[in-house]
Amino acid sequence: MFFYYLDLAWRSIKKTPLLSLLMVLAISVGISITITTLNVYQLMSVNPAGERSDKLIAVQLWSQGKDVWKEFNAQVTYQDAFNLRKSDLPLRQTAMFVTGLAVQTEDADFSPVLEIVRVTDSDFFGMFAVPFLYGGAWDKRVDSQAAYQVVINQEINKQLFSGEDSVGKTLFLDSKPYQVVGVIKTWNPSPKYFDVTTGAFKDSAQLFIPFSLAPIEEFQSWGNNQGWRRESIDTYSDRLNSEMHWLQYWVEVSDDKQRDEYAQWLAGYVEQQQLLGRFDSPEAAAQLSNVAQWLDLNQVVPEDNKILVGLSALFLLVCLVNMLGLLLAKFLQRAAEVGVRRAIGASRKQIFAQHMVEVGLIGFCGGVLGLIWAWMSLSMLSARFDLEESLTHLDPSMWIIAPAIAICAALLAGIYPAWRICSTNPSVHLKSQ
Amino acid sequence: MLHIKPIINTLMRSKSGPILLLIQIILSVAIVANASFIISERLALMDRDSGTAEEQVFNFRLYAFDSSIDIESQTQRDMRAIRELPGVIDATTTSMMPLSGGGWSSGYTIGSSEAAAKDTESAAIYYGDEHMINTLGVDLIEGRNFHETEILSGSPDLATHAIVSKAFAKETWGDESAIGQIMYAGDWGNNPLQIIGVVDKLQGAWVNSSFLDNSVILNVRLVNVFTKVLVRAEVGTLALLKQAIPALLHKDQPNRVIDGFTLISEHRKRVYRNHELMAAVLSMMVILLLLITSLGLAGMVMFNIERRTKQIGTRRALGAKRRDILILFLVENYIICIVGGIIGGLVAVQLGQQLMTLYSLPKLELIYPIMTVAGLMVLTTIAVILPARKAANISPAIATRSV
Repeated sequence: MFFYYLDLAWRSIKKTPLLSLLMVLAISVGISITITTLNVYQLMSVNPAGERSDKLIAVQLWSQGKDVWKEFNAQVTYQDAFNLRKSDLPLRQTAMFVTGLAVQTEDADFSPVLEIVRVTDSDFFGMFAVPFLYGGAWDKRVDSQAAYQVVINQEINKQLFSGEDSVGKTLFLDSKPYQVVGVIKTWNPSPKYFDVTTGAFKDSAQLFIPFSLAPIEEFQSWGNNQGWRRESIDTYSDRLNSEMHWLQYWVEVSDDKQRDEYAQWLAGYVEQQQLLGRFDSPEAAAQLSNVAQWLDLNQVVPEDNKILVGLSALFLLVCLVNMLGLLLAKFLQRAAEVGVRRAIGASRKQIFAQHMVEVGLIGFCGGVLGLIWAWMSLSMLSARFDLEESLTHLDPSMWIIAPAIAICAALLAGIYPAWRICSTNPSVHLKSQ
Repeated sequence: MLHIKPIINTLMRSKSGPILLLIQIILSVAIVANASFIISERLALMDRDSGTAEEQVFNFRLYAFDSSIDIESQTQRDMRAIRELPGVIDATTTSMMPLSGGGWSSGYTIGSSEAAAKDTESAAIYYGDEHMINTLGVDLIEGRNFHETEILSGSPDLATHAIVSKAFAKETWGDESAIGQIMYAGDWGNNPLQIIGVVDKLQGAWVNSSFLDNSVILNVRLVNVFTKVLVRAEVGTLALLKQAIPALLHKDQPNRVIDGFTLISEHRKRVYRNHELMAAVLSMMVILLLLITSLGLAGMVMFNIERRTKQIGTRRALGAKRRDILILFLVENYIICIVGGIIGGLVAVQLGQQLMTLYSLPKLELIYPIMTVAGLMVLTTIAVILPARKAANISPAIATRSV
């Protein structure tokens, strides 16, 4: 029966090509706008930590004085990071920041390139599930006893060592020799949740070196450096002893119980620091956020995007109302034909089903066309605005979502016209023939 | 003369069609009014002038990773060499670049005594030498530039003299002249800075901040392994200079990374990208929405004409002119459009109200819903007249057939 209705629907569409085309266009445009904005929204609001989201915890400290910042800073000071690292409560933990260093190899002809380098602890790789191609993270001892070791990613490995297993080889960062201990596969979580301060949708760093080297090599911070107190910072040790917030701090806990224990320990830490004369604001406290909370807290999905999704939903509604009107027009025009069908024995249910199939077919065509529009508009936008690729590829789930929304929307719009047509009295139309 | 009452009666007889049209118009007005308001707000943001010669000024960075380099004398030598290059108008070292999204900013302390000390608004800080004003291409409107002898080399704390933007001077000292005023980089009394000049306009790096127009230029050549260099050159010479500058500097001292050549106009494009994107997507939405609404309208009119062929024929037979038929359809749709416009305007204001409380958007200005309804009237006229002309051509003879 379904296929017979499908055949009837196709005939009916062919009979009024202009009106049908108008309907398909209307719904496809509505779908394409909705899918375009929804796609970007979905890619921005994804939680890349997946099931580890609850275990990875960002640490924030209200260390500022009275009446300065009205919220927790996203980062912590070096003194606090230094003290927090001493706790052995969390399963894993890391303090980190990004810097930039000139990379050279033993090959004298290789002209130096400036690369973004993440200065972090050995736990980083385990916590954020970084996949290794060769070797692994540096030894945990390096976190307390600095050593010149480096983890590089696949692209740099290709550039410097033509892609072979480079573990044990040497490269130069700012003219200092570092030993390669690991090569990671291409790894680019989006949004880059572990450091949203330097652009949540920018690519991740290419090289990683031990945090314990920072006080020795005095790496400059390429991230945000925010101070609430006017203090003069001339030397690197000034910076390390300052109240400037410039480090990201993450811990991994095994379960909620450990998280609570750690929160308690942090509360104790804040009190202890207050005795030492720091944290003198009445609001002084520590705040823990898991990855989902963290993304929310830092408004990784921009407001503009939410507005667009809302407006495009309204847009789709307009397209539906539009379609509803056109369907009503089209179906009522056919009233006489339906009258004949009813007179020779078609039930109301059958007439209703037949028209719903027709509407569904129009919706499906609109959905597919809309998906093509959406794909076109996304690639146009990404070309015009030079957007991050991670935000403009069409999410595979859209291949299901788009036709599904289109068919559902069309069916919704079709219910009233189909009901109108099957509820009219056949005799009225038969008389006027 | 317009026979509004019978038209309304007709509309009330078959309600579903007109009601659908009404809903569509209400929603369209609500969306289009808010969207075009947001678009014009973003365009106004993007239209603000940075005060600099955006097409001529570019920056690049210089990273001297070799610790044996004496950065201070090396940089001075580099700058002299760059200024000699053909096409280059002027050059200086800097701490930041206008519209780049990153840089230095701080508030200062002012006041005649420690008790009367208060903080100024934040301002972007450009550290540079006497070439800074000419390099940026900003207009000095009061006071003077730095003398060559006043320029100090080293850390930011050394600064003693300041040139400020007019916006910052006005915000800090009101109508008083800024020249000769003192402000403190530290707490009151520490690191005093004397204001010696005012530039007409110089924006900072953060286009979404409230202090975009506040800038100060301080008389320090920063000495750092990372040096940001600002160059002003004839339009179109960047492509050549991109090759010539690294070649020139590497010949002198090869152990440096030289990269990141970017014009201010390129910074502008990047920093306003999200606003431009929002405006583009919304414009697309508005155009498509209007297109769909008018196509829908035309479709409905066409359907109505077909359904009422006999009625129109009868009216024609009874003496109605072609014009009367045209007017009938126009008036019918104008009524829907006006009612929809009024309700839609109210919904638009409500929607704007919601957007304002939920997100950081300004209040919707009333002119936008009004303009939208006016635009929609024009669109209705076009969408109705084209099919209604066909209706007007219906021959009176139709009425006598098949009755």
